[in-house]
Amino acid sequence: MGVSSGPRLSGMQKQVLALYRGFLRVARSKSPEERHRIESFVSVEFRRNSKQIDGKNFQYIEYLLRLGKKQLEQLKNPDTIGLSSLSVNSSRIKRS
Amino acid sequence: MASALRSTILRHIRIPVSQTLTLNGSKLGSGSGAVAFRLFSSHADDHLDKEEVSARVLDVVKSFPKVDPSKVTPDVHFQKDLGLDSLDTVEIVMALEEEFKLEIPDKEADKIDSCALAIEYVYNHPMAG
Repeated sequence: MGVSSGPRLSGMQKQVLALYRGFLRVARSKSPEERHRIESFVSVEFRRNSKQIDGKNFQYIEYLLRLGKKQLEQLKNPDTIGLSSLSVNSSRIKRS
Repeated sequence: MASALRSTILRHIRIPVSQTLTLNGSKLGSGSGAVAFRLFSSHADDHLDKEEVSARVLDVVKSFPKVDPSKVTPDVHFQKDLGLDSLDTVEIVMALEEEFKLEIPDKEADKIDSCALAIEYVYNHPMAG
């Protein structure tokens, strides 16, 4: 969806950035190694999607947003120590 | 007459030493408590010096892996001048949160897109430490 270059952000871009921020925030609550793993995984994932996905493909972006929010909720659970389960999920969601 | 009476009375009054000590002790205790409280509150009230905020913000930006430290000045725009994208900007603002022990709400964080705005925001934040 083309990482934004202009100063004005669309509502959807804001949601994506808020989700990204949410992942980085939750990473802070995990162990240092896990934090690092989460940060690099999420960073790679968001950047890959931002390059590959057409910014006008709202439906697909909405879908990824919902998915990401769900994964973020799982990660917020203190019992979730890391995202190894998430990487399994994400390999399942290969784009159709 | 009154003064004679007073000195007579005073000469007969005996205050037990232990009691005075306790009194002093408790006074001392509350005194140091007050000092500790004042230190604590002055820390929270104290605004960080603008120079210091500026220097620490610039340090955070300079240490960002994708940034060329020689380009960083108080006026640079993260995306226009440093070639960062919006995800990088999120990471920088998060790093600033950690540096100054703040939590910046999404609405505010979305607006911070330059060193100048970051310095302004942190400087005006009452809890920045």
